[in-house]
Amino acid sequence: MKLIRLVCDYFRINLAAAMEYRAAFLSQAIGMAVNNSAFILFWIIMYHQAGPSIEGYSFRDVMFLWSLAPLGFGISIVFFGNSVSISKLIYSGELDVYMLQPKPLVLNMLASKMYVPGLGDMAYGVILFLATQPLTLTRIGLFVLFSLAMAAVLIGLRLFYHSFTFFFGNAEEFASMAAESVLSLILYPGTIFKGPVLWLFRTLFPAVWIAYIPVRLIQSFDLALLFITLGADILIVTAGVMLFYSGLKHYESGNRIGARM
Amino acid sequence: MAHAIEVNGLTKEFSSKVKSQGFTASVKGLLAPRYRTIRAVQDISFCVEEGDILAFIGPNGAGKSTTIKLITGILFPTSGSISVLGMNPHTQRKHLSYHIGTVFGQKSQLWYHLPPIDSLTLLGSIYDLSKKQTKNRIEFLAGIFELETFLDQPVRKLSLGQRIRCEIAGSLIHSPKILFLDEPSIGLDVVVKQRIRDLILKINKEEKTTIFLTSHDAGDIEKICKRALVINHGALVWEGTIKDMKYSLLNRRIIDVKTDQRLCIDIPGVKTVKSKEYAAKLEVELSAVSVEEVIQEIMKRVGIKDITISNVPMEEIISMIYQGGFA
Repeated sequence: MKLIRLVCDYFRINLAAAMEYRAAFLSQAIGMAVNNSAFILFWIIMYHQAGPSIEGYSFRDVMFLWSLAPLGFGISIVFFGNSVSISKLIYSGELDVYMLQPKPLVLNMLASKMYVPGLGDMAYGVILFLATQPLTLTRIGLFVLFSLAMAAVLIGLRLFYHSFTFFFGNAEEFASMAAESVLSLILYPGTIFKGPVLWLFRTLFPAVWIAYIPVRLIQSFDLALLFITLGADILIVTAGVMLFYSGLKHYESGNRIGARM
Repeated sequence: MAHAIEVNGLTKEFSSKVKSQGFTASVKGLLAPRYRTIRAVQDISFCVEEGDILAFIGPNGAGKSTTIKLITGILFPTSGSISVLGMNPHTQRKHLSYHIGTVFGQKSQLWYHLPPIDSLTLLGSIYDLSKKQTKNRIEFLAGIFELETFLDQPVRKLSLGQRIRCEIAGSLIHSPKILFLDEPSIGLDVVVKQRIRDLILKINKEEKTTIFLTSHDAGDIEKICKRALVINHGALVWEGTIKDMKYSLLNRRIIDVKTDQRLCIDIPGVKTVKSKEYAAKLEVELSAVSVEEVIQEIMKRVGIKDITISNVPMEEIISMIYQGGFA
């Protein structure tokens, strides 16, 4: 409960800070939603040309992906905004503040920052889901569950990728590119990928667990597969947290002058 | 008296990449990087007693901040042991953090775009204070640090002095037993510095908070600290009271004298620092000659109208430390 309270407190204070500049706040949130909408137009044209199915994915299935991804991504950067800046926090010595506070380091560090455009992503994901999906309890429940799981996995992956900064000095570019790759992969029908590449998508870039299988479960529910998927998600997050803590022993801090924005 | 901090044989080594000048060297460094070990802290041992105000002095790069980071659990030591309030800061970092507060002059824990009241309230929540406890504590600290008039203004609109007062208040929100202050007076004007010093003394007196202070400011050290540790090149080079530092370590006195005639003095151990018509400033090396002997010698030559004997200013002591005078 204390940890949920902490996340909520950070959310409140970050939202208050963002709203200090109302015009920027609104334009960032709305801008992100508009940006996402342009891609929907692409898919409408695509399905108009290709017919009702692309590699087993209907237009509705693709829209499920396009609802799930912005919501999962949005949650990960709104509530855990520092997850995209972990390398910078490490190499510029900004972990000090969090290490001196009596809260779990990873959660405290991740939750202390918010990326405002993520609010636009979240709103967009929800609206698109409501507009394109049948609103059954099962589908709504799975949508919420998979969104949270996707957010957790995206955060776990960023922790994993960025933790290489502890060992290599600066892995920021690598981590950003790797995280971006996963985001790109989850926006396309998983069935277009075949062969050994899928192993890559189950491990280093695990789009399979956070996007492809959730769509399969929406198409045809399978409890065993759901548990396997959630288990894989937990493993990914655990790997990220473990690598971070093992890297922490190499943390060298720093004297960079900084402020909390 | 119990020890608040106990450090034994503490050493911290960093591995640093060696790179020669130029593009070719950069390419070589990429293919076959070379590293060297830097000893930022070398086998230091000391104790700080509860309720003490300790100055931790040394030039830039001496290892002060690294030592604080080791003591607070931010950095892992290469060797040696640390006990803070009976706890190991590395294995019990979370538990220890309820009992220590830190102010790093260069790093802020306040939200830049929000009023300090919001950051202080959040800090109360981070330290598991109830809403009522947080409110009472903020009222108490706002009273002591005189924050009431700007507690609701965004931090970005505060002066540096106001911001530092809020930073210190923030670090005291959970009533820590030890407060680490790493150059808190950096960039402040003399009036604000004096105010911060008064506040530190007040909190030490009222809450019996142990203060561990690093500063380059002579006034900070002279006016608020009882003891000092001097570190240079990562090693502890001197430890004692501020009084000892001034009276014993720097075995010199300054004599300002006004005379009825021009004074020319040539005694071994006496240096004329300044001389202007009928006034002179002399620096006396006590190991060579006593103050009494110097005064007698002056009186033999001229009539004394006024005389002041003082210690060497703390500024000079610190300057000497930084130039390796104690190393």
